[in-house]
Amino acid sequence: MGAVGEADALDRGEAKQVLRRAWRRLSPYRKLVISGALLSVLWTGTIVAGPFLVRYGIDKGMRQDDSGALNVAIGMFVVVTLVSYVTYRALIITINQVGEQFLRDLRVQVFDHLQALSMSFYDREKAGVIISRMTADVESLSELVQVGLIMFVSNALLLVITVIVLFAMSWQLALVCLIGLPIVVVASIKFQRESNKAYLTVRDRIGQTLSSLQEGLSGVRVIQAFGREDVEVGRFGRRNQGLFDAHMHSVRISVWYFPIVELSGIAGTAAVIGIGGMFVRDGIVTIGTVAAFVLLLANLFEPVQQLSQLFNTLQSAGAALSKLFGLLDTPVELSEHLGAVDLPRHGDIAVESVSFAYASGAPVLRGIDLHIRSGERLALVGPTGAGKSTLAKLAARLYDPTEGRITYGGVDLRHATLRSLRERMVVVPQEGFLFNGTLADNVRIGRGDATDDEVAEALRAVGALERFAALPLGLQMPVNARGTRLSAGEKQLVSLARAALADPDVLVLDEATSSLDPGTEVLVEAAIERLMEGRTVVVIAHRLSTSQRADRVGVVAGGELVELGTHDELVEQGGHYAALFASWAGGLARQ
Amino acid sequence: MPTSLEDGTEDVRRKATRDGWRLLGQSLKAEWRGIAFGVGVGLVWTFAKVSVPKLVQLGIEEGIEQQLDGALMKWSLIILGAGVLAAIFTGARRYFAFRVSRSVETTLRHRLFAHLQRLHFAFHDKAATGQLMSRANTDLQQVQAFVVMIPVTFSNAITVVAATAIMISINATLALLALGALPLVNILAKRFSSRLHPAVMGLQQELAELSDVVEETVSGVRVVKGHGAEPIQAARLRKEADDVFDRSVETARIRATYLPAMELLPNLGLVMVLGYGGYQVLRGDLTIGQLVAFNVYLALLVWPLRSTGLIVSLAQRAAASADRVYEVLATAPAIADPPHGKVLPPGGGELRLEGVRFGYLDGAPVLDGMDLVVPAGQSVAIVGATGSGKSTVARLIPRFYDVEVGTVRIDGVDVRDLRLNELRRSVGIVFEETFLFSSTIRSNIAFADPDASDEAVERAARLSGAHDFASQLPDGYATVIGERGFSLSGGQRQRIAIARAVLADPRILILDDATSAVDPTKEHEIRDALDEVMRGRTTIVIAHRPATIALADRVVLLDGGRIVAEGTHDELLATSERYRQVLASADAEGDTDSAAEPGAVRA
Repeated sequence: MGAVGEADALDRGEAKQVLRRAWRRLSPYRKLVISGALLSVLWTGTIVAGPFLVRYGIDKGMRQDDSGALNVAIGMFVVVTLVSYVTYRALIITINQVGEQFLRDLRVQVFDHLQALSMSFYDREKAGVIISRMTADVESLSELVQVGLIMFVSNALLLVITVIVLFAMSWQLALVCLIGLPIVVVASIKFQRESNKAYLTVRDRIGQTLSSLQEGLSGVRVIQAFGREDVEVGRFGRRNQGLFDAHMHSVRISVWYFPIVELSGIAGTAAVIGIGGMFVRDGIVTIGTVAAFVLLLANLFEPVQQLSQLFNTLQSAGAALSKLFGLLDTPVELSEHLGAVDLPRHGDIAVESVSFAYASGAPVLRGIDLHIRSGERLALVGPTGAGKSTLAKLAARLYDPTEGRITYGGVDLRHATLRSLRERMVVVPQEGFLFNGTLADNVRIGRGDATDDEVAEALRAVGALERFAALPLGLQMPVNARGTRLSAGEKQLVSLARAALADPDVLVLDEATSSLDPGTEVLVEAAIERLMEGRTVVVIAHRLSTSQRADRVGVVAGGELVELGTHDELVEQGGHYAALFASWAGGLARQ
Repeated sequence: MPTSLEDGTEDVRRKATRDGWRLLGQSLKAEWRGIAFGVGVGLVWTFAKVSVPKLVQLGIEEGIEQQLDGALMKWSLIILGAGVLAAIFTGARRYFAFRVSRSVETTLRHRLFAHLQRLHFAFHDKAATGQLMSRANTDLQQVQAFVVMIPVTFSNAITVVAATAIMISINATLALLALGALPLVNILAKRFSSRLHPAVMGLQQELAELSDVVEETVSGVRVVKGHGAEPIQAARLRKEADDVFDRSVETARIRATYLPAMELLPNLGLVMVLGYGGYQVLRGDLTIGQLVAFNVYLALLVWPLRSTGLIVSLAQRAAASADRVYEVLATAPAIADPPHGKVLPPGGGELRLEGVRFGYLDGAPVLDGMDLVVPAGQSVAIVGATGSGKSTVARLIPRFYDVEVGTVRIDGVDVRDLRLNELRRSVGIVFEETFLFSSTIRSNIAFADPDASDEAVERAARLSGAHDFASQLPDGYATVIGERGFSLSGGQRQRIAIARAVLADPRILILDDATSAVDPTKEHEIRDALDEVMRGRTTIVIAHRPATIALADRVVLLDGGRIVAEGTHDELLATSERYRQVLASADAEGDTDSAAEPGAVRA
């Protein structure tokens, strides 16, 4: 069962809005929704009909010695029982059909929207949070769809219909034995609130205990190395005890609540016998009514209890839905303009008075002017956070400049079709990242419709085909994002092969900072070298050797392009680059 | 009645072994008082609850049908009394059930953690953290879920027996007709959960695959966007979403098959009661009170019948889980205090490895016939190719592993004769992979001695080159680092790890590639600091950068499991071809190093 923190709980206005939007989204299945609603009414009706028929059988059949009336009651009961079976079955199927289709469409739509959102969205939001929209949030909806919704609707209807029937049979007796109902309702609301709070504490403490556990396990070598086992066990013990206390607190809350429900039910029965019996003597009600009351009361308080527990599921589903709608409302920044044109096949990149700031912060780049000739290799260097990778990514339109413009072959990147943009320009990130699937699938990320031969050709182009073809399953070897069997260098080779497969005119390369094992390092370097041939290349350089080999070097510092020229020119110039070069070399030459 | 029976699904895939049951039994025995209380209290509740329909019957018979004086008042008060009893004892049963089950869970979790903390490195090398976590979490939840059900299961069983007995005593034929179909409920409930469980697992699997696609797309967003691969990922997601849909519909179909059927059977019993019982009343063989009581009993029986099957599968799952927990608890720590652990004699930390052979569980010896003597206060750099066993040497000294043959002695004492705590406090190690705790920088540095003064912490930080950046952080040394705190660079983390080792002021300091992540342009700063830390302290330095190697007084070359050459860096460069090879291959890892040392290294 989910619980909702106060920050997440929706207020009345929000809840209304979420409901209205959800309702609108349900319009394609409205027929199913309506039949679902009818089925629930029918089904709960059959549940209440049983005691009602018992009453008829007693009053009209047994008390009047009328076997005909008794037979009517029995016959009706058989029918009602069968109808109950059929409607319940249909109800489960209908609600799940609607719910799961709703969820499926929501998943697809949210995912498509996520993919359409620009890089700056991903810079802004934590990956874990984005992922949890599609997983935890959708799943809390799915919990509702799978069981919660039927239970909620049927319990609510059951409560209402039972109360109506009770009053219809005898409002006097109903008044007497329903005295407990408001108490149960109030207690349920109070219980729901408190147990929700208690549950949040429990959840929190579970998190603390698990993270303490995790830390104790991942750090076990350090702990043992320093002989701190006892201290860590003590620390964990306190967390663990804290979790126990939180559990016990939440139990203590329920310890007063369940007795109230239990007592109210049985007290109602006692009242039916005591007061109802007197009413029978006074001729206000029949004995059949008393019997029906006894039977209906036995099941009256359970729905209240269930409803209060379902309230959490409902609330967290509402909160989840609201977050999902919020995500769908996030505007797509890098959309394709109307009348967008394809980029020319070749061209220079011109960065014209470009400034850039992430949505939340101070400018990262200011007034950059830069002309990259077709076929040129430009290395960007500079301290971390100076803006060199941002500049490189702007050149491939992973972001749009805040001011100024970037053109390729004279066409403003913002006016280019997204398809032609990705055909011409490819960005190879620092770390080789793998997707779940085969090696070939992973290379095919570069161009989805590539044949197996083309994939092999791309691997050959970066000089990695032999290495991968030698694997047990060759290119069909499954790899996965996490526990992969490929080394960091091999992952980079895959990543470079993707770029080779895409065969772009412009390559934006983020050089890896971390070192690889010597064997693969050579392969990767060679692959990069081959890949760069005949293309315009912008490389974010972390190594001296890379910038040395480039046609020109641009130094980005404090958001500005402070120097631009060949390696030799810049060293001679004695500015930032020369200083950087000196510290690189100097720090090492010391010993 | 709409219910959520589905929560209790059946899992018989794993057969629990005797060990699991034994651990469960042991845990229950330790809490027997609470369990006995819970069961006892539950029985009182059952008594009150089962008596209510019978009391209703008597009330209707005497008070309404026979209209005896005072009967109405009498029976309604007795019913109320039963209600009070049921109410009090339902609360108490709940309390005891949860108290005991949570207590079992908490105790086992504590035992598990304490045990894991004492298990040897070799165990942790093999075990995946995630696996261990799930034992301390999911598996213990399974145990809890079983224990909490014990009192209510007794209540349910007695309820079934007592209610059936009462119904038979009222009218045996009617009881048979009314209850005849009910055992089927039990069977259906079992079949339902055994069919639903795999379907739900399948659904979970599909959901996991779906979230894999989401996760990789989000974490790999740079690749996806860099290549414009959005349509590829979108197609994959659609496929997974369709699979999830299909699986969900499948589970819905199973629910739709069983849940209505389980409702139908008791309803048929009710029809029987009205049909046969009604005619009995007409004939005067049954009172209306009895007819009503039958109805109520039927309703009372449905839930206990449905859930009796549950406890069996809960117990099986709990035993299987307990077995996994037991597996860990039964692993004896391979490295433990010797029976009469010695204390280190005063000394400067002379280190002596003699004829050491060692191999990890799954392979050939890494070290074989290794001898190494480091006189007190000296520093030695161990150089060797990847996999030559440099780090292994480092791990044998504080007894993270025990040698197979040979000895490791500190100031003349075999490390296996020392008290573990004593040994590990005398040997400070900085691991290649830095692990820091999610807490403040201060408490990370003062890990060995939380009571260390601020001056001591700062001194250690200065020595390791961590002071400059630490003091510039927003909260200085009080800055919380780690997953939810401030994130440091690899080099900064290593410097804190060095400070942590320095603070303990060990006799022997081991730096296992401890500066590998430090930015080459900053490394010289640390080198000065390390120089000071190492002065007069026995130190083992494992490194490939020539600059770091040069810090040590002496260099030994490890190859083929033993030391093949030793001398100063310059001597070895001059005399050992192998030494030059090893350094040259290590050099390719950072070409900035080679820029500094073209002549020396590219021999």
